[in-house]
Amino acid sequence: MMNQMNEQPRCKSLLRELQLVDFSLYDTVLYLDAYPDSKEALEYYRTLLQERKSLAAQYEKNCGTLTIESAENTQYWDWAKLPWPWELGANL
Amino acid sequence: MWIYQRKLQYPVHIKNPDARAAHIIVSQLGGPDGELGASMRYLNQRYSMPFRDITGILTDVGTEELAHLEIVAAILHQLTANLSPEEIQNSPFAAYFVDHTTGVYPAGADGAPFNARALAVKGDVITDLNEDLAAEQKARTTYDNILRLVDDPDIIDPIRFLRAREIVHYQRFGDALGIARDRMNSRNYYATNPEFDR
Repeated sequence: MMNQMNEQPRCKSLLRELQLVDFSLYDTVLYLDAYPDSKEALEYYRTLLQERKSLAAQYEKNCGTLTIESAENTQYWDWAKLPWPWELGANL
Repeated sequence: MWIYQRKLQYPVHIKNPDARAAHIIVSQLGGPDGELGASMRYLNQRYSMPFRDITGILTDVGTEELAHLEIVAAILHQLTANLSPEEIQNSPFAAYFVDHTTGVYPAGADGAPFNARALAVKGDVITDLNEDLAAEQKARTTYDNILRLVDDPDIIDPIRFLRAREIVHYQRFGDALGIARDRMNSRNYYATNPEFDR
């Protein structure tokens, strides 16, 4: 069933990978806010951002829409049908 | 503005409902040192902040607190969604249940609804950043107390994540205070308030 897309095992692991990369990315953002001239941190941010974009694209293609600004290729409005993140089955 | 991301910042998967744990953990939603107060504290302190880099820290930490609010809400939802009336009757959660059923409502562990007095916006750089440093430690202490009272690994795991983030936010607010002091009168930081004095 299309509305069960993000409950596939592959989607669970993709979501977990995305959460891991987004965590590193966000922590780097907080660091950059305090040290905006750190070249090392900016370089790390760029590396993480590339990983983030690739994982998010894979997730959205195979599992479901992540934000209302990225539902470009959906067959129908899955935003109204996918599980919400706090539902018991939505996390590993 | 904000764009919602349809995922939790950290996964929550609690297999066993637990009314007693919900009764305790609700404090980190709407209690005196909870995530609702945290997000509103930082996001509201931003507007009169004269230093753009510190405003960035307030914006991004405040936004992360909204994600933490959702994690705590997910914990509460999963702890209570499948409770039986008997399990509720014999627990301290019964008093919450009578007013909110198993809906997620921002209250403290003592049942008091969220009170904006839990946060402060003083409009003074040094004062507000010290408030923020203390707030992060108070939230860290609350998570430590929760960890002393629960033993389910499914609950402990996301609570430990939230506790660790309080410590990181404390570091960033410490950086912010250092940035502010570097730009103020080094002999008397209190000589002027750059949020008001021109």
